Amino acid sequence: MTIHQAPKRTKYNPFVYFVEGLVTLFNGMVVTWRNLWRPKVTVRYPYERRPVPPRYRGLFYLKWNEEKGRLNCVGCTLCAQACPTNVISMVKIGKGQNAGVSEFTMDLGRCLFCNLCVEACPFDAIYMGPAYELASERRDACVFRIADLAQGGEEAVRKNIETVMRLMAEEEQAKPAAAVHAPRGGHAE
Amino acid sequence: MEAIVQFFRDYPLLWTLVKAVVLANFTLAIPLAVIYIERKVAGFIQSRLGPVHVGPQGTFQTVADALKLLLKEDIVPAGADKRFFYIAPYIAFVSVVLSFMVLPFAPGWVALEMNVAVLFVIGVSLFNVVSILMAGWSSNNKYSLLGGLRAVAQLLSYEVPMVLSVLVVVVYTGSMSLTGIIEYQVQHGWNIMHPPVMIAAIIYFVCALAEINRTPFDLPEAESELVSGFNTEYSGMRFALFFAAEFANNFFITAFAAALFFGGWDGPILPPIVWTFVKVFVMIFVFMWVRWTPPRLRIDQILRFAWQFLVPVSLANLLFAVALGVR
Amino acid sequence: MEILSQGMVINVGPQHPSTHGVLRLILTLDGEQIVACEPVIGYLHRGLEKMMERRPYRHNIPFTDRLDYLAALSNNLAICQCIERLGGVEVPERAQYIRVLLMELQRIASHLVFLGTFGTDLGATTMFLYAFREREMVLDLLEECTGARLTYNWVRVGGVPDDLPEGFGEKVLDFVKVFRQRMDEYDRLLTRNRIFRSRTQGIGVLPKEMALAYGCSGPMARASGIAYDIRKVAPYEVYDRVEFDVPVLEDGDVWARYLVRMEEMRQSLRIIEQVLRDMPDGAVQTKLPKVFKPPAGIAYSRVESPRGELSFMMVSDGSSNPVRVHIRAPSFVNLSVLPRLLEGAKVADLVAILGSIDVVLGEIDR
Repeated sequence: MTIHQAPKRTKYNPFVYFVEGLVTLFNGMVVTWRNLWRPKVTVRYPYERRPVPPRYRGLFYLKWNEEKGRLNCVGCTLCAQACPTNVISMVKIGKGQNAGVSEFTMDLGRCLFCNLCVEACPFDAIYMGPAYELASERRDACVFRIADLAQGGEEAVRKNIETVMRLMAEEEQAKPAAAVHAPRGGHAE
Repeated sequence: MEAIVQFFRDYPLLWTLVKAVVLANFTLAIPLAVIYIERKVAGFIQSRLGPVHVGPQGTFQTVADALKLLLKEDIVPAGADKRFFYIAPYIAFVSVVLSFMVLPFAPGWVALEMNVAVLFVIGVSLFNVVSILMAGWSSNNKYSLLGGLRAVAQLLSYEVPMVLSVLVVVVYTGSMSLTGIIEYQVQHGWNIMHPPVMIAAIIYFVCALAEINRTPFDLPEAESELVSGFNTEYSGMRFALFFAAEFANNFFITAFAAALFFGGWDGPILPPIVWTFVKVFVMIFVFMWVRWTPPRLRIDQILRFAWQFLVPVSLANLLFAVALGVR
Repeated sequence: MEILSQGMVINVGPQHPSTHGVLRLILTLDGEQIVACEPVIGYLHRGLEKMMERRPYRHNIPFTDRLDYLAALSNNLAICQCIERLGGVEVPERAQYIRVLLMELQRIASHLVFLGTFGTDLGATTMFLYAFREREMVLDLLEECTGARLTYNWVRVGGVPDDLPEGFGEKVLDFVKVFRQRMDEYDRLLTRNRIFRSRTQGIGVLPKEMALAYGCSGPMARASGIAYDIRKVAPYEVYDRVEFDVPVLEDGDVWARYLVRMEEMRQSLRIIEQVLRDMPDGAVQTKLPKVFKPPAGIAYSRVESPRGELSFMMVSDGSSNPVRVHIRAPSFVNLSVLPRLLEGAKVADLVAILGSIDVVLGEIDR
């Protein structure tokens, strides 16, 4: 620990007070003069906008996987369970590996933007993006549905459901075929 | 044209009335410029831009603000003393217009030529004090009352050293008429050259800061302490009138200082009216520069400083000037 | 004939330009002197301690951002330390260094808010703009690292969520260099100003015994001569491995508290440089099971937040939710001494004294 000495108080002498006041005032005025000529830090929003860093925690988006032709989200509800304020709700379609979501609703009025859902997701399905201008004139604008959140909008949602249904159908077909070809114990063909 | 000039020569009072109307408009218009400069200078000192949106470089910002204030609802607090509440802004405004009447902007450009102009200006500046007291009292608000009382104490305390320093100039030039003082300076060099007048000028500037309620003496309207002091309850055009009166007073006090100490409209190449404005705006810029640097003084420190330091020093300075000036 | 005069009762209401947050003060004045003062709090009460009992441990961390919202990372650190003590969780070394780095950046940001608002209260409005201009730099750094500017939520049980971004160290060192010069400018503008000194010296003197009796901590206590800083007395994270001084002054007035905070900012710069130099590589988070159930017991953790000693007490009964959480907020305890400080002071000093205590209503009301 260090003990610093503050300047001691002296008896009030009006003349010294005035002179010292003027001198320190001029000293401070040098600082303000210098700042008068420095570049200004104003960003003239909304005509200019500052770019946000890559990790910025703005509006959420559901990642679209181009190779698989579907959203990454499988509806495991890990994010909904990780959320402190019950923001997320979803409707899962299919089951197993090829499941997906047909509805993914986030009530952002309750959201803390705390990033816990993003950290909880094991499938790289949900991220927080750079959008921060979320103000609206309507009360129900807080509720973001899957079309607002998915990368690619309505189109992506539709394609996602198609792909998931297709994958589910393929799986259904593969199962009875496997049952037919599997050797039955005891019977010979 | 000749007929109009002859008409006004027959009725000089009417001519003065015309000049008064022009000056009243000037008093309303000059705060627009001064407030714009204040906001720009404040912004630049604080590393930001100030008004930029309304008009080129934000020049119409104060016009927009004045229009907004005109359109506001006129709120009179319940229980307010209506007579004084209504009258207070007008008295402050009128005192500034009256002060402008005797100020020479250029040789021959005086609204009202008076041979006791200095005395007149000092007397009229006391209207300001009265109007602040009326505003603080009649608002029926504890904060306004506190602000008003503090403002009156401060203004009265700083009148004394201001008058004494102005007297130094009067001793030197031997005349109380502002035109006479400027003429004297045109012949004998600016008043500021003489040492007692230099000290008087420093004292005058400190008192001027206190008279127009600027930091470091702006406790009467300190926002963080009393929520705007004596004009808390004023809204709309009444508030605009107080504000206009304060900034026009800003202009006047610096113009008065220019006339007393720096030669008024005297200057080499440019026309005299330009010199008046140049000197005034340089001093206004220095006032603003001072405003945005230090913190504000407490009321007891303000009063102590005035009575324990400024009054004795300005008295001593006056004696010094008389001793030097008596030939 | 006796003149009966009551003191004038003034209400410095919850909304006022000089109360830092929604604090209501009921003052009884006698002319210009303050006779009595009664603070009224609770305008920002949100029931955080009760809310935390209904949620698993991990879910409570984002709520602590909203306690002392000017120094959110300190709150996050305090609660994570408490949970770590409950569960016996080890924190990797790199994570500890990152935590210290962020804490010190946060300390600078919080003290800059104090500097700005204190200057504004006293009339030097320019100080506010300068302080926030520098604070923008700190917030930009923290935004790059964490993604948020006020409610960071960047400390987890067992470390930090992610590593520092690329090039972060260089940017922080650039900031440190610029900030040292700016602090000299602040000294020239405000600290050396005679008017500032006469407004703050000898005002609101807090004697050492009173500070001890009321339990003041942080810069308030250190300005009154109590040499107590948790980072030195009971070091946590890597504070025992970095060299820094802790300013302690004897006077106990507003001036001393201001000087202590200014010096703390300089010492934070020292700590930041050392941390960046010595940071090892490695993991940044100890992974915990999805359902985290610490053994039954009580844990108490304390950190040196910019306002003083911030402590969390958590009681666990082996289930996934805590049974009881108590937050000891430094501003709450520091504010309790305000009526004693204001006895005999003038109204014009109220602003200076209240500003020097540096309260944040978020942690007072919880």
